[in-house]
Amino acid sequence: MAAVALLLAAGPVLAASVSLVVLKKDGRPLVGAVVTAEPESGKAAPASPQKAVVDQLDLEFVPDVIVIPVGSVVSFPNSDQVSHQVYSFSPTHRFQLPLYRGQAHAPVVFDQPGIVTLGCNIHDNMAAYIVVTAAPFFGRTDDKGGWTIPNLPEGVYRIKLWHPLLKDPTTMLERPVRIGGGSNDVALKIEEVTRPAPLKGHPHSWDY
Amino acid sequence: MGLLAADWKSRLASARIGAACGLLAAGSAARATTYDFSIDVRAVDSDGRNSYLDGGQGKLRYDKDDNGPHLGRLRAAIAQPLGEVFSLHAEASSWGDYDKSPIDLTEAYLEYRPYPRAGFRTRVRLGAFYPPMSLENRATGWETPYSITPSAISSWIGEEIRTIGLEGQVDWLGTRMGHSFDLQFTGALFGWNDPAGTMLAMNGFVFDDRQTTLFGRVGKSSGDPDEAKREMFHEMDHRPGYYVGGQLRYLDRAVLNVLHYDNRADPTVSVEKLRNFAWDTTFDAAALRVETSGEWTVLLQWLDGSTVIEPNNFHLRWDFNSRSAMLAKGFGHHMLSARYDTFEIDRGAGSNPGNEDGHAWTAAYSFEPGNNWRFMLEWLRVRSDVKARPVLLGEPELATETKLEISVRYAISGSW
Repeated sequence: MAAVALLLAAGPVLAASVSLVVLKKDGRPLVGAVVTAEPESGKAAPASPQKAVVDQLDLEFVPDVIVIPVGSVVSFPNSDQVSHQVYSFSPTHRFQLPLYRGQAHAPVVFDQPGIVTLGCNIHDNMAAYIVVTAAPFFGRTDDKGGWTIPNLPEGVYRIKLWHPLLKDPTTMLERPVRIGGGSNDVALKIEEVTRPAPLKGHPHSWDY
Repeated sequence: MGLLAADWKSRLASARIGAACGLLAAGSAARATTYDFSIDVRAVDSDGRNSYLDGGQGKLRYDKDDNGPHLGRLRAAIAQPLGEVFSLHAEASSWGDYDKSPIDLTEAYLEYRPYPRAGFRTRVRLGAFYPPMSLENRATGWETPYSITPSAISSWIGEEIRTIGLEGQVDWLGTRMGHSFDLQFTGALFGWNDPAGTMLAMNGFVFDDRQTTLFGRVGKSSGDPDEAKREMFHEMDHRPGYYVGGQLRYLDRAVLNVLHYDNRADPTVSVEKLRNFAWDTTFDAAALRVETSGEWTVLLQWLDGSTVIEPNNFHLRWDFNSRSAMLAKGFGHHMLSARYDTFEIDRGAGSNPGNEDGHAWTAAYSFEPGNNWRFMLEWLRVRSDVKARPVLLGEPELATETKLEISVRYAISGSW
């Protein structure tokens, strides 16, 4: 928690919206970070469960990060010609899912909040993450590191932040933020070192 | 109460039928068989001495008599899942030169690969395969993607070493649990590799992308009727060998690999049919590969070992070592690489005919626009001082051999 430095910009406090910008230590935007916001009072209900898809396409999980409310279901359709064996040994949800061509699998229900790391038992380089949240507000930062909630009640919120390249991607960074009336511009700067992004572009014939 | 009991019985029966249907569905589902085919043709301009494959002491696959087009490799591979956690793998190749059979296996094994649990994964292989040693030959078919011709170390492994036995691996998947590292431990028991060491003693280190097939041989005989048969995969002393190894990975950026190999051959045993001894071959190997997001790759390899035979209790020992350093830079689909190899074989006495030392430079350019075509150009120069040359062939000890080689490879892969 101490790793997040909060820079709360001064601004008019009349309307209830928040624009968040997440920056890395070097000042560049943290793209694709999962952000959730829940009132510190704990009175807000989680968002409604959703139906999400994590496909297997060209030996990659697509998308490789999703954030879903507790109780959501995720299907794994496998658009590749080859088989995959999706697994998770994350405590949040352990499962094994053999994805063979022509065999549709029932979607997987994620009913506990937490971070689920997915792998493929056949293709070691495949990795994806499912962030299951009990927060009423959630999303991912855009290519400028930004995320906006247009309409939310005033109050103190617990902002949680997660990215697969954080030094410790098993936990979410957390910071209380007071959201006043009006528009709130919040800049969160990650003091932690982020890992280098996975290497891309090797032909599939490498590292068999 | 009775109604409730009946209801539960009915539910249980439904659940059993459901489970049975599920099992049937799983049993009949299409577990895709994957296949790879590739053809690799070459054009060669070489000034090499008579090749070691052709009874000479030249260091290259293609010598001065081999200029022109060649079939570099014709390859077929298949992986067949058997149930959920077992799979069969087979690799067959035709090299277009010195093949004993038109096509033969380089690897064939059964793999057991259960799902990871609690951060650990185990893997067991039974059959014939390469020990997990080369960070260079990382592409399908145990090929290097950095050049046509692998380093002296990988050339030797492809020529003489194969695990024919049982191997177990345990991976600690740290990067899946928030750590920056993964760890792997490997151990194997194997047989049928007692001739390993023969080629090092007869021909020293060479530079060759040709891999000895399981039922094949290394080139042709020099014509000497007493020469050992160049077949590498025989069991001669009924003593299993072993290797143990480890691998440390930092994210997907750096890999450090270490291996200790000992075929535990009884060097006093000889087999008349093979005209060969069991070569007691032991080595340690290490390799480090570092890759950057700027598409740079640094690869360092190290090998140090010895091989011993004891005909009539006369102890003969060859110490060998090789080191290799490679730098590669990718530019999207293009890649440039440069490699330096040194190698040495030491029989002990200064001018012993078994001694050699040398070094080689290799530069390569590759263009791999997709998953089908690959074009590669390679220049390789090897300078070697081989004491056996004047004794066996009346040639000068020193030789500088240079070749320029173009490879055009077409590959298809898929599943049915």
